[in-house]
Amino acid sequence: MTDTGRSTRGETPSPVDLPGGGARAGLGWAAGSILIASLFLLLTNAQALDGWAAEQEPSETMIRVSDATAGWLDATERMGAAGPRAWMHGVWKRMQAARFAGQAAAGE
Amino acid sequence: MLFPTLTFGLFFLLTFCLVWGVSRSNEWRKILLLLASWVFYGAWDWRFVALLIASAVLNWGGARLIAGSDDPRWRKRVLVAGVIANLGILGFFKYYGFFLEQLGDLLAVIGFARDLPLVQIVLPVGVSFFTFQGMSYLVDVYKERVPAASLLDITFLMSFFPHLVAGPIVRAADLVPQLRTTPKLDRGMVAMALLLIVWGLFKKAVVASELATQFVDPVFADIAGHSRIDLLLAAYGYAVQIYCDFSAYSDMAIGIAALFGYRFPRNFDQPYRAASLQEFWRRWHISLSSWLRDYLYIDALGGNRGGVWYICRNLMITMLLGGLWHGAKWTFLIWGGLHGGVLAIERLWREYRPRGAPVLPGWAGIFITFHIVTLGWIFFRSATFADAIAYLRGMTGSGVAGMTATPLQLALILFGLAIHAAPPRLMQGIALRVRTWPAPVLGVATGATILLIDAMRFEGVAPFIYYQF
Repeated sequence: MTDTGRSTRGETPSPVDLPGGGARAGLGWAAGSILIASLFLLLTNAQALDGWAAEQEPSETMIRVSDATAGWLDATERMGAAGPRAWMHGVWKRMQAARFAGQAAAGE
Repeated sequence: MLFPTLTFGLFFLLTFCLVWGVSRSNEWRKILLLLASWVFYGAWDWRFVALLIASAVLNWGGARLIAGSDDPRWRKRVLVAGVIANLGILGFFKYYGFFLEQLGDLLAVIGFARDLPLVQIVLPVGVSFFTFQGMSYLVDVYKERVPAASLLDITFLMSFFPHLVAGPIVRAADLVPQLRTTPKLDRGMVAMALLLIVWGLFKKAVVASELATQFVDPVFADIAGHSRIDLLLAAYGYAVQIYCDFSAYSDMAIGIAALFGYRFPRNFDQPYRAASLQEFWRRWHISLSSWLRDYLYIDALGGNRGGVWYICRNLMITMLLGGLWHGAKWTFLIWGGLHGGVLAIERLWREYRPRGAPVLPGWAGIFITFHIVTLGWIFFRSATFADAIAYLRGMTGSGVAGMTATPLQLALILFGLAIHAAPPRLMQGIALRVRTWPAPVLGVATGATILLIDAMRFEGVAPFIYYQF
């Protein structure tokens, strides 16, 4: 606190301003990156989409959406695209279940 | 609508496409973002969108009246009325129940027990943030630090969804000048924005959620059933959890705003590497601490103008009110009082330190400051004062043996502390490299990192701690 180190108003630095400026224009680059990231997740993480659809309030539209996401999840599982997430989740679950010597196992 | 959910992800994608794709006009762009912000806020409770709009109109009108007059007395009257109106909104929603309860207790003690009109008031999410923004705007216009802005710009400032519900507290001087022209994205800004979003997602969904749900919450809920070592580790765990939770929100808010072309100020700067409490407050919730310093400590209380005891009084008042800002609870007041007291002691030590007294090495300052902050967090986290005292007693002597913290939880606590030893501008260095990558590489890297986080995250998402403030 105390006002000896008072900053000037409106001049608080933003972390998104990189030293040396931001270089080239970035809207197309941002849109391309976000699109590819979204498609990547659509392919590899269909489980999240299916889970989200299942959590929504039931309606005729949501039933159709839920059927579509379930079908897409099946398709990605057949393709093997859901494998990496399942493997990583398994590793994480084992890390969660690990205990120090003498500690009760998870769920006991 | 919480940031780390698919609902928000879809909302963001739609808003991003609409805002950048549909309109070239800056005004229409702001209107679209404003409508999106109200949808975001309305997803929680539609009724309070009206409160948000009313608050913006109030501050816009007040600022216009101040700016349009040369009469100092009239300007001051409007300012005082505007500040009272803002505090009235905050007070009604946040403190009405608390003060009525205290009044009821007091009346009972002196033998005048009465049935007071206690009503359950729903606290609008983010009310502390947007009323503080409104008040600082009025003061800034009054002091001619910023010109009065248009209704659209002020409504945008107070409603823009990335910072609406849990900060950072963005001042008019930070955002309104950016609203005058159509923003442009550059690669550096985008690279940093994506890094902040992904890093925030990791801190919240993995570190904070895992520690909260699997360790800290169970320990605080059953203090008597846990050993000293568990209580100590849960106190450290909460220090890591609240940092990872709140800084995650700020990081994601800054990143999301940047993807729409707006720059928000930094809100956290490795706070646990502070070697004094004064330094801690330059690194923790910077937008609130600088707000309290500029508008309360300096403008309202006079800052450092008096003697050293006057300064200590001001520090104490500022931190007590800072504690009360978090909510109407005695534990928040004690938390603020502890910080105010230690800040005053630091000030007195600087003033009256005997010549030749040894200077603490840097690491010792960091160690002591961190433990004072962690002690404060015990009061901050505890439901009641009695719980906090029971927690502290349990740390000094508990009849329970053993430890329930798992290797993963211990590793997450150590990780949460270790990141404070990282080079201060590490992320900016990474962003400088990332901005040279082709879009497909960045897209796959972003997707793969989010996939990894999703595989590690706790099932479900707990609300951010600062949503309640």
